[in-house]
Amino acid sequence: MKKSHPIRRVVLASAATVSGIVLLLSLKPSSGPAGAVADGAAPPATAAAQESPQGGTGQKAGATTVTGDATQTQYGTVQVRLTLAGGKITKAEAVRAPSGGHSTEVTDDAVPKLNQEAVSAQSADIDAVSGATYTSGGYLKSLQSAIDKAGG
Amino acid sequence: MSTIAGGRAARRQTMRRIRPRRSPAVPLLIAVWAGAAGVLWLWWMNTPSLADNNAKILNAGRITGLLAGYLMALVVLQMARVPALERRVGSDRVARWHAMSGRYTISLVVAHVVLTMYGYALQAGKGFGDIVGQTVDSVGQLPDLGKAAIGTGLLVLIALLSMGPVRRRIPYDAWYHVHLLTYAVVFLTFWHQLSTGNDFVVEPTAKTFWYALYGSVTALVLWYRVLTPLRLNLRHRMRVEAVIEETPGVVSVLITGRRLHRIGAEPGQFFRWRFLAPGMRFSSHPYSLSAAPRPNMLRITVKAIGDHSSALRGLRPGTRVWAEGPYGALTAQRRSRGKVLLVAGGVGITPMRALFETLPGAAGDLTLLYRANTTQDLALWDELAQIAQERGARLMYAVNSPEGERPDISADTLRRKLPDIDRHDVFMCGPPGFAQQVYEALRGAGVPARRIHHESFEM
Repeated sequence: MKKSHPIRRVVLASAATVSGIVLLLSLKPSSGPAGAVADGAAPPATAAAQESPQGGTGQKAGATTVTGDATQTQYGTVQVRLTLAGGKITKAEAVRAPSGGHSTEVTDDAVPKLNQEAVSAQSADIDAVSGATYTSGGYLKSLQSAIDKAGG
Repeated sequence: MSTIAGGRAARRQTMRRIRPRRSPAVPLLIAVWAGAAGVLWLWWMNTPSLADNNAKILNAGRITGLLAGYLMALVVLQMARVPALERRVGSDRVARWHAMSGRYTISLVVAHVVLTMYGYALQAGKGFGDIVGQTVDSVGQLPDLGKAAIGTGLLVLIALLSMGPVRRRIPYDAWYHVHLLTYAVVFLTFWHQLSTGNDFVVEPTAKTFWYALYGSVTALVLWYRVLTPLRLNLRHRMRVEAVIEETPGVVSVLITGRRLHRIGAEPGQFFRWRFLAPGMRFSSHPYSLSAAPRPNMLRITVKAIGDHSSALRGLRPGTRVWAEGPYGALTAQRRSRGKVLLVAGGVGITPMRALFETLPGAAGDLTLLYRANTTQDLALWDELAQIAQERGARLMYAVNSPEGERPDISADTLRRKLPDIDRHDVFMCGPPGFAQQVYEALRGAGVPARRIHHESFEM
């Protein structure tokens, strides 16, 4: 029948929990190496690809694809793949995008819009989708790198 | 003199080789910690990197949420009346675990909500002040979050009602029935864990494990809190036989039923009793058996301290009784030595009386020390004296002096009365202050802590 010390117990439990969580968070790298598998065991989230406004289904003869750099955002990796035909972007898709919980919702909402914008702007000069600031930022970076690769 | 004397048959039942059973508390606690480590590992494996403070806040929210979800299942499990917990770890200890882990879980839930909503607010370019607005937005946008919000509101209400000063001001029954809402909380908050929790969305194995955890807890609750009592009461069909006044303010209730020796109760254990009489139907209270179970008779002895215990005096013979149990770990199984000292404070005599009658032992092995305010308060004294005489056991009492001075129970007096006290197992039952005092005296007299067996329902 040990004496109980309720206050001491509360202080100890809080201190142990807070320092445990802070320790776990600080052990995580602040950003992973580019191209690292970011989503753990999650399958890469492929957002619905957009058809080019010029029509045409699937890849035309002579079409090439170019994949941009994988970009880390705090919710996961974004990587854009472009399909080009005759120097024009006919299709943009995200081969990787943040998924899981809230992120899936944001991705499902934002990525199709970004794809559409990329095809119509034919450049990386597109607007971020509101409510998906981080995902949009990652998308823009990856899109720019894909355009650079295609141009270079 | 009550009708329930002589316990040779019961004593023969418990006459077996002394082999103390260890409480499974340590392996259980190891399993609980291992589970918590597994939950943290799940987070670790599914989290690649944390870009900035916003990510850190959201992930702190995830960790607290995962731990809260895990603990919520265990908090319910602790109250599922699983025999391994109730009879081997001890109902009192499990109840303390429940209270402690319940408070901790609620703190984690609150931290989880605040951190997650703050994280989402930052993500949307808002500040800490917009948490409430962000919560409303998120409830509208995310699946199952509405249910979770209702559940969390209920949980906070339950927590407020369980806090010391409030708890003391509301009747036990009201508090208990509000507490049952926790089951609704668990149900309401379960679904958002799976549908919005990152780790469960991306990791099907984790989802399966979570279903298994909550599924088995639900099964145990249904089995041990619903089906087991139902079967017990249909089988034994108990009724009040008589109510006997033992001393002023202390009554014994004799309960008849079918094949009560098959009810599985050991001396030292208790049942939760519900008397189906007007005004008593909706509350159930734990009272120890004050005699070993007989084939057709159980007995409890109760001191009138609360509404319920006072109302017992007015019970009519024939009143139907609903019992759940047996519970409690203060039984002969705890014993490790040949010699036993039983210490009772006031109405704490009830389980000690049952043990005094039935603990196996030769003449001179058993001693009972009975503390009360006055000699008039020594309930059941006549039958204790008879048992002592039959078994060659020692019976001592300690009462206040006529001036109201408390008797001296110290290491020295205990050693003087029982020179070989350090070779005894001690079973103890009484009010918390008394138990603490005796515990310290016993330790001072050289009794190892592992041989002092007591039950205390103080939180």
